[in-house]
Amino acid sequence: MSGYLITLGTIIAINAIVACGLNVIVGFAGQISLGHAAFFGIGAYTAALLATQAGLSFWAALPCVLGMSAFIGLLLGVPSLRVREDFLAITTIGINFIVEAIFNNFEFFGGALGIGGIPRVGMFGLKLRGTEFLVLCLFFLVVVMVVCWWLTRCWAGLACFALREEETAAASVGISPVRFKLLAFVLGTCMAGLGGALYAHFMRFIAASDFAFPLSVSLLSMVVVGGMGTLWGPILGACIIGVLPEVFRPLVDYRILFYTMLLLLMIRFQPGGLLGENSAARRVLAKMRPGGRS
Amino acid sequence: MNRPLLEITGLSKHFGGLRAVDGVSFDIRRGEILGLLGPNGAGKTVCFNLISGVYKPTAGQISFDGQRTDGLAPHVIAGLGIGRTFQIVKPFAHLTVLENVLAARGIAHYRHLPKIWSSWKTSAERREALSLLERVGLSELADRLAGLLPLGNLRRLEIARALAVARTLLLLDESFSGLRHEEITQIEALIRSIRADGLTVLLIEHNMRVAMGLCDRLIVLDHGRKLAEGRPAEVRASEAVIEAYLGRKGSAHAA
Ligand SMILES: Nc1ncnc2c1ncn2[C@@H]1O[C@H](COP(=O)(O)OP(=O)(O)OP(=O)(O)O)[C@@H](O)[C@H]1O
Ligand SMILES: [Mg+2]
Repeated sequence: MSGYLITLGTIIAINAIVACGLNVIVGFAGQISLGHAAFFGIGAYTAALLATQAGLSFWAALPCVLGMSAFIGLLLGVPSLRVREDFLAITTIGINFIVEAIFNNFEFFGGALGIGGIPRVGMFGLKLRGTEFLVLCLFFLVVVMVVCWWLTRCWAGLACFALREEETAAASVGISPVRFKLLAFVLGTCMAGLGGALYAHFMRFIAASDFAFPLSVSLLSMVVVGGMGTLWGPILGACIIGVLPEVFRPLVDYRILFYTMLLLLMIRFQPGGLLGENSAARRVLAKMRPGGRS
Repeated sequence: MNRPLLEITGLSKHFGGLRAVDGVSFDIRRGEILGLLGPNGAGKTVCFNLISGVYKPTAGQISFDGQRTDGLAPHVIAGLGIGRTFQIVKPFAHLTVLENVLAARGIAHYRHLPKIWSSWKTSAERREALSLLERVGLSELADRLAGLLPLGNLRRLEIARALAVARTLLLLDESFSGLRHEEITQIEALIRSIRADGLTVLLIEHNMRVAMGLCDRLIVLDHGRKLAEGRPAEVRASEAVIEAYLGRKGSAHAA
């Protein structure tokens, strides 16, 4: 494989991990989040600081990264998940801008210069690069997908689905809205944090602008295009949103226009996403494999 | 035990100047089917929402089994074994019929952090949910998406979901409305069998005749106040009730 394809594949795999996390929040628990890039950034900065300042390896730092993502997810989730849906969109956007500003303005986070000199991930005495690092990312993507798959069959996941569908009814059958929204939020931010750590060690240089609001929009596009609440949707979405700009490189100036058109077309013709209920793709799949509704 | 299962004292809920429920007191006795009647806007559903914790009362108390429940969150009240249906049905539309009941049957797990991670696919609860569906006559539709069901089946699903939670008290909000005659008969039989199992039932019903036939006692609300209480025959004979139902509005309503 050429280096270009490996780089593209790695970025897509990392985005897919982060999009899976967003899907848990938005697709599984039904809570809009337009600030997911902030948690991606928090993971990346935590990993970068632990690697460059504390000299921890990627693996030693990983539990701290996940813990930090969970902690900040909890901290920001408690107030935001208590507000109404429309405010939640605005609150999460606000979180994104604030987190970016903090990275940008505090010396501790490298300020405008960002953080450089992040080492490669080591494993078995090897420094992972190229294909090896891609395999590592794919491994974590599989782990994240297994967690998501398990959510579709455990009580916690069912509680989230019920909340997404009808909050009043869910509460009337014993599902605490705050507890399970928070649970989804924290799981989602942990996945974002994991993606962030991989990103930091892949790029080896990060800056606040890597985690700005437009990334949140593009992550949400991945989830919407692929199919909110489905298992494979975020991965398909990450591939499409990741590959399209490469294919249409000459049209780079019209990228935003293109995304907008794509989103509008999706909402008009396949509101459940490419892999959503009753989508064209699902109907074809159902024909090929009778029975399943997964 | 002689203490009533649910005791409501001086219960009020005001929305601004509107006194939706205004100083209502009544008891629910163990094992009875109690009917809550009254014309449109009488405050019946608001009463349900107060009992199930959707609204906090403006004044008054609710005690369940001797424990104060006013002010508790809905999911906590559900945890006490109180299940309810909704007049405007609220299915989990994109989940299957079985998953709708399962989500309710999971109530035993939702409070324990380790248990919420166990799978429901092969759980005892799944079998219980299936038998609840059987009981309300929906087992053949277990794998359908709930959002696609017609109203009659949605009303049954609401009952199955509430039953999954209700260990002691079942609240039914107009479970007959919009149903055909033979469906009404089936649901009536179902409610009787639920009571025979030892549950206490509080039901809201618009149709006097259905309520008279089914309930042991009736409470009539009008403009948020209790108008009458007693056995069906007594209530039917009450002049105040006849007046309210014929629509001769005399009492002052809004403050
Ligand atoms: N959330 C709310 N905010 C403001 N007013 C409300 C609210 N909920 C109910 N009301 C009002 O309270 C009054 C009682 O409503 P409620 O739904 O309890 O009537 P009901 O007895 O159930 O009538 P129906 O037979 O039509 O269902 C009505 O005037 C209604 O408009
Ligand atoms: Mg009502």
